[in-house]
Amino acid sequence: MPGFDFSNYNRNAALHARGVPLPKATSTGTTIVGCIFDGGVVIAADTRATSGPIVADKNCEKLHYISPNIWCAGAGTAADTEFTTALISSQLELHSLSTGRKPRVVTCMTLLKQHLFRYQGHIGAYLVVAGVDPTGTHLFTVHAHGSTDKLPYVTMGSGSLAAMSVFETQWKPKMTQDEAVELCSQAIQSGIFNDLGSGSNVDVAVITGEKTVLKRGYVRPNERSQKLKSYIFPKGTTAVLNEKIIRKEDLGNYVSVHELSTTEEGGDKMEVDT
Amino acid sequence: MYADHSFREILLGITGKDFTLMAASKAAMRGATILKASDDKTRQLNKHTLMLYSGEAGDTVQFAEYIQANAQLYSMRNDSDLSPSALAHFVRGELAISLRSRKPYNVNLLLGGVDPITHKPSLYWLDYLASLASLPYAAHGYAQYYCLSILDKHHHPDITLGQGIKLLTMCIDELKRRLPVDFKGMTVKAVTKDGIVDIEFDDDKVVKSA
Amino acid sequence: MSSPFSINGGAAVAMVGKDCVAIACDLRLGLQALTVSNNFPKIFQYGDVFLGLTGLATDVSTVSDLFRYKVNMYRLREERDIAPRTFANLVSSSLYEKRFGPYFVSPVVAGLDPKTGVPFICGFDSIGCIDFAKDFIVSGTATEQLFGMCESLWEPDMSPDELFETISQSLLNAVDRDALSGWGAHVYIIEKDKVTKRLLKGRQD
Repeated sequence: MPGFDFSNYNRNAALHARGVPLPKATSTGTTIVGCIFDGGVVIAADTRATSGPIVADKNCEKLHYISPNIWCAGAGTAADTEFTTALISSQLELHSLSTGRKPRVVTCMTLLKQHLFRYQGHIGAYLVVAGVDPTGTHLFTVHAHGSTDKLPYVTMGSGSLAAMSVFETQWKPKMTQDEAVELCSQAIQSGIFNDLGSGSNVDVAVITGEKTVLKRGYVRPNERSQKLKSYIFPKGTTAVLNEKIIRKEDLGNYVSVHELSTTEEGGDKMEVDT
Repeated sequence: MYADHSFREILLGITGKDFTLMAASKAAMRGATILKASDDKTRQLNKHTLMLYSGEAGDTVQFAEYIQANAQLYSMRNDSDLSPSALAHFVRGELAISLRSRKPYNVNLLLGGVDPITHKPSLYWLDYLASLASLPYAAHGYAQYYCLSILDKHHHPDITLGQGIKLLTMCIDELKRRLPVDFKGMTVKAVTKDGIVDIEFDDDKVVKSA
Repeated sequence: MSSPFSINGGAAVAMVGKDCVAIACDLRLGLQALTVSNNFPKIFQYGDVFLGLTGLATDVSTVSDLFRYKVNMYRLREERDIAPRTFANLVSSSLYEKRFGPYFVSPVVAGLDPKTGVPFICGFDSIGCIDFAKDFIVSGTATEQLFGMCESLWEPDMSPDELFETISQSLLNAVDRDALSGWGAHVYIIEKDKVTKRLLKGRQD
């Protein structure tokens, strides 16, 4: 994992000292939730990515693969959630290959918290970890500073309060799979409509002992309506000063081709396995 | 941003049909004092490439001579000179590396030359952040604000050396007219396919303020 | 001093059409309000993959040189050209490697899948988070204007000619509302067996 390259750090720190603000990363000012049901666990997320007040991506994926039976929902700095989950996914795959056992959710959670704690919160990944392993069904939250929680239902991100209000009013023990999916979906929609950092669609992942089902775009309550008029410009609208066309077939003109003789005098033929 | 004394140093470059004309102010300044009126802010990198520099005292000469030494070493080892374009990218690389060090060089540069093979003149503009641009004419410091507009209006890519010197004189007259400090005249050199030649320049010409 | 992303100025945009993609950039290089060059292209070609880079000019040069090196090394090792999606992941991991000392650039990638010919575009933030989009990607100091233009002008399944007009008008009209971008533009239309590069006439103010 030895990884980060600090070669630009001095320059950027010097620039920062001269009053330059730090760059704004894409953040998933997000709503993510998770809920255990009888026989498995479901996690869900919205699909909006923001950069300051700008919606950078209207349909991004916040449900990350860890292993076939463990998935992760990510909030916070988008690049950090993406790379942290990919890194731990990789470590867990190698770990399960060397032990010959299925990866466990606690192992995943521990690797994540140790990695994040080492970086003292500078890696801005806020995660909901869920999965089913031989020891049972598990649901955790992992914060950027390395703290974790183990709960039957969880929410994270800027829309966590909106989503939690749904759980606190509607959650009940021993729900069925359909009830849990519906509850998580409602919680995400509460975030989508009440939190400005969250929006667009609901993604859901259902993990049971048998399989995992990723439902991308489970609910799409914000479809863009068909434009009634086309804005396509007639050909020739834009003034062009210069045009250069490069055709693939013409690329041959830039190289010279020498036919090599395959007779004896041409030397040894290359041996080719057939 | 950084000390504004380096902004008062003038670097100018103009390309023409078969030459690149380069000029640098002669004053060496520290704070409000002019230390020297015959400062040379130019270094010759090889037969047909000249570099002008301004910036933090100490950094400038150190960096310029480091580049000069490397360019000369290349010429000796390979018995052929690097082209102005190759040198410009080399200088940019070195400056970009320096930028990532504990104490970066604070140097602005103009690199002018004539390609030894194609005989095409070229001019490269580099600032202390290692931003590189190839331009028909360029300046550094406050001179940019006064000279670029004059050059925008009067420059053509196929001007002769004589016309180039006239253009340069227009620019320097304007600087004499508008800059609040005396920059003690200009060192002027022209790069042609035959090498670098010193251009006699009348520093004593009096320009009346508007 | 202002943000490193807006010292030099510049804008780039990529769009998807039917069996084609387009990528375009402005040509300005400035120092705050002073324009230093009106011929500073921000699109770089690596085989069949195109990379647009906006942000701090020194990092635009450094990063474009770095990927030229990495793509050439890939080509030597693999004896084939890099695919757009592979290149996107290379960009992403290269930028994230510098998570705590980033390059001040906002890259845009465009190309066609070498096997299927399916259009591919994506964008990144400065620390490598990929934004996969099926319509368009914008970057630079005219981001907000470009979002507005693209969101209203783009439509699915445009022909190469339609795509050219759409991306050109989106860019031209966006940079005219951004003081730090403009001064001409380059537009690349990438098709299965043809790449067309056009220099656009833009305002010089």
